[in-house]
Amino acid sequence: MTGWTGRMLSVNLTTGKSSIDEIPEKLLHAYLGGRGLGVRLMRESHRLDPFDPALPLIFSVGPLCGTPAPTAARLSVVSRSPLTGTIYDCSAGGRFAWRLKSAGYDVLRIVGRSPTPVTLVVGDSGAELFAADHLWGKRVSITVAALKKGGSVAAIGPAGENGVLFANIMMGEGNSVGRGGLGAIMGDKRLKAIVVNGSRTSIIAHPERFQTARADVMRLFRASPVIFGELGLAEYGTPALVDLMKQRRMAPTNNFQGTWFAESDNYSGPAMRRECAPVKDGCHGCPIQCKKSTPQGEHLPEYESVSHFGALNGIADLSAIVRANTLCNELGMDTVSAAATVAAWGEARGKFSQADEMSGILERIAQRQGVGELLAQGSRRAMEELDRPELSMSVKSLELPAYDPRGAYGMALAYCTSNRGGCHLRAYPISHEVLRKPVATDRFSFSGKARIIAIAEDTNAAVDSLIACKFSFLGATLEEYAELLAAATGVEYTPQGLKEIGNRICLTERFYNCANGFSVSHDRLPDRFFTEAGSSGDGILIPPLDRERFDQELQKYYRIRGLTTEGTFGDSGFLERQP
Amino acid sequence: MREQIARYSAKLLADRSASPGRIAIAVQDDLLFGVGDEPEAKLAEQILAKLNALALVVAHPSLPFADLLIRRSPPTCRQIVPNDTENRTFLHDIPFIREEEQDDTLAEQIATLLGGRKGVIVEGIGLIAVGAITVEQAYINYSSLFHSTFVKYLQDLLVQGFFLPREEETFGAFRRHWLLPLTGGDLAFRPGKLEQREAILDEMARVGRYTVERGLVDSFFGNISCRSGNLIYISQTGASLDALPGCIDPVPFDNSSTTGITASSELLAHRRIYESGEATTILHGHPRFAVVMSMLCEESDCRVADCWKECPKVRYLGDTPVVAGEIGAGGLAKKVPPVIAGPGKAIVYGHGVFTTGGEGFQEPLLRMIEVENWCRDEYFRRLDLHGER
Repeated sequence: MTGWTGRMLSVNLTTGKSSIDEIPEKLLHAYLGGRGLGVRLMRESHRLDPFDPALPLIFSVGPLCGTPAPTAARLSVVSRSPLTGTIYDCSAGGRFAWRLKSAGYDVLRIVGRSPTPVTLVVGDSGAELFAADHLWGKRVSITVAALKKGGSVAAIGPAGENGVLFANIMMGEGNSVGRGGLGAIMGDKRLKAIVVNGSRTSIIAHPERFQTARADVMRLFRASPVIFGELGLAEYGTPALVDLMKQRRMAPTNNFQGTWFAESDNYSGPAMRRECAPVKDGCHGCPIQCKKSTPQGEHLPEYESVSHFGALNGIADLSAIVRANTLCNELGMDTVSAAATVAAWGEARGKFSQADEMSGILERIAQRQGVGELLAQGSRRAMEELDRPELSMSVKSLELPAYDPRGAYGMALAYCTSNRGGCHLRAYPISHEVLRKPVATDRFSFSGKARIIAIAEDTNAAVDSLIACKFSFLGATLEEYAELLAAATGVEYTPQGLKEIGNRICLTERFYNCANGFSVSHDRLPDRFFTEAGSSGDGILIPPLDRERFDQELQKYYRIRGLTTEGTFGDSGFLERQP
Repeated sequence: MREQIARYSAKLLADRSASPGRIAIAVQDDLLFGVGDEPEAKLAEQILAKLNALALVVAHPSLPFADLLIRRSPPTCRQIVPNDTENRTFLHDIPFIREEEQDDTLAEQIATLLGGRKGVIVEGIGLIAVGAITVEQAYINYSSLFHSTFVKYLQDLLVQGFFLPREEETFGAFRRHWLLPLTGGDLAFRPGKLEQREAILDEMARVGRYTVERGLVDSFFGNISCRSGNLIYISQTGASLDALPGCIDPVPFDNSSTTGITASSELLAHRRIYESGEATTILHGHPRFAVVMSMLCEESDCRVADCWKECPKVRYLGDTPVVAGEIGAGGLAKKVPPVIAGPGKAIVYGHGVFTTGGEGFQEPLLRMIEVENWCRDEYFRRLDLHGER
């Protein structure tokens, strides 16, 4: 077998035992790896409570990991989210995935709960657990520094230990397994960190074919202004989007009360370049290197983080925003949900937080002290507790990122159909509604968007299972990646075949969610977007969304997916028919 | 959806790439339907039903070159591989189905091929192209198929000559009837230097439309820009030059804003051209004879294999320099500026033509027409010579 190792390392933290199991080849072919394989491996566990010790926390790499396929050194972490209650996965880069593959595993599956804090060390010969009492309570950088000699580190910070519902798992290189609170699950299992290292190399079935496909991908990267253009992601990182979102009048401001923030120029890509002298940084083997760090190695915020600590909270101070971002990374906490929850609280109390207050609030959230106890639950629960549920700008309890849905109607629909809650990355309509890739679509029209979103969800589910970075697809397509996959594994794949796999993954996720009570009533945007206009100007009108058109398009989406009008499965035997 | 189908069906006729009466487009939103001529519309529906995509074009091309390429290829061959940039970058290769291979599972055969590629040639039926998320995308892919098969056939003829029955007569009909005289004398331009924003945007939209109407560029390829003070007004990536209103980005020269992240992939080339000369306007198109002729190389004992990006030489077609270089960050931005400053025109190997103007867009458009006419004349001169041999 090439591409895959076919091996899963299972670790039970309750018993301290581990085993190595074979993954049936049929499952690898049908679900690829990453998100798809992780979701499949949740079949027997998807109804477990997020804090049930038996709930698995699955780290799953893809068949392209370990090869020189561009942007493929990634993994997905899959479980059930304590924040949203949905099936949950998050793709992350860094070096951890590459080293897990080098150790000889496609999957690391962790169950149980250790009686005391532990560190899990994974290598060529299996797994070992070590006491981690001395690291418990420590910030991420201290934990990583203590462990990195042994390999790549994935660790939680105080937020994960204290059960903050949007706690991250942080990769030692600064990447995060973010949004859905999987750090809290790791904390509940008393697993402070995982260290991986390995010495194996991946074998490619058809090296020459692989090189040709790789050259095709690189040619498309170079032809994409968004990736390698002089104003693109390789140069400025995702903060390149700050100016664009301002110009398009879709930058969420003051907890989504507005969509335009006059002072966003203070933290735009060029401002960050001027003030922070960033250097390129990024995932193992990635040619884009979109992450940016200061010369001293401090990771600079991504677009979503800079905009939410900025416009969403009415803060224009770049240094305060960078500090907030760094603090979240240290505490092991999701920047988008943290900033959005603080913004909702700001609107609820009639006063947004000042730049110099932000650090203290974030500390209290991670420690669950004072108001932090309220905010650590995320905006939906916190606002319900304050009797202001309408102020939580979330879908399925996941706080919306920095793309206002009134400025991109496909985005509005995609936030709702996403199986993990209000996320921009499941269908990533920003690529065509704003960035014009692969072609431009009318961002103020719902026409065709149900089908477009379904296709994009399928495509991205396949991408998350290869795994490759979404940014690759601002230049390349599944055509080139199917060729890379076929060359690496020796198994023929086509773009159409990959989309069919993606469809299977999306429907499986939806099935799990429906089994846990999700339906059309959860595929809802906050009322604000249907009743309040955004910040029109410069000839761009940002009216409220048309609820009737939105509902029509959502029903179209259900029909395309073969679901009932309630967004559920008419066929209860769906899962049994899947591989 | 129906409005989009009507728009792109009309474009297939307006750009003369498809035969009237043999055009169909199918789309699927929550429902699947085909619109257009029969039997193409029915076939389009049958194919699209098997694909996870939004739109499909089935059209018979206005020129027989795709079918001729199939007939000229060896019996074991299953795809053609044109060398032009549009194909190399976006299509890779073009699979085909011969007439004798077609049976009552044709829709299935075509869908299988389209499951792996953006377009396919079906002998006797036409070019079939898929649009993953929009009707426009299906149109763009059709258009690239038409462009690449045109270029490939003309390129092959220069090397191999005619060898199929009645091939020369068929080509003669193309030469006499399909090809139109290429002129620009009747076009109106805004005189003088362009300085005001509205005037610049209007003139760019107008000249973009002229460029498409004259057949100097296909689908959403090509780009256009104008320098004014600290700004470069440039067409957005993926913008059709005949539909530019709302699709032009003002990009500061000093990169003080990144709104131009959506600008053309050739922004860097445009910037370098402005920095290295006196030009204030730039036009880039993919005129087909220039693309064909740019790939005609008479070097012997040359060790360069990837000519389109590695060729270090400056060759000439008439008085127009030809250089190699890939799109975007791939090298074209380095190779074109040094050679274009003097003549105001340059051809990129297998790709297209850049022209510049000192003030206004009359100069670059007329230069592009002049380059294409020279290449067209030279092509036929060489083809005729080949025939005499």
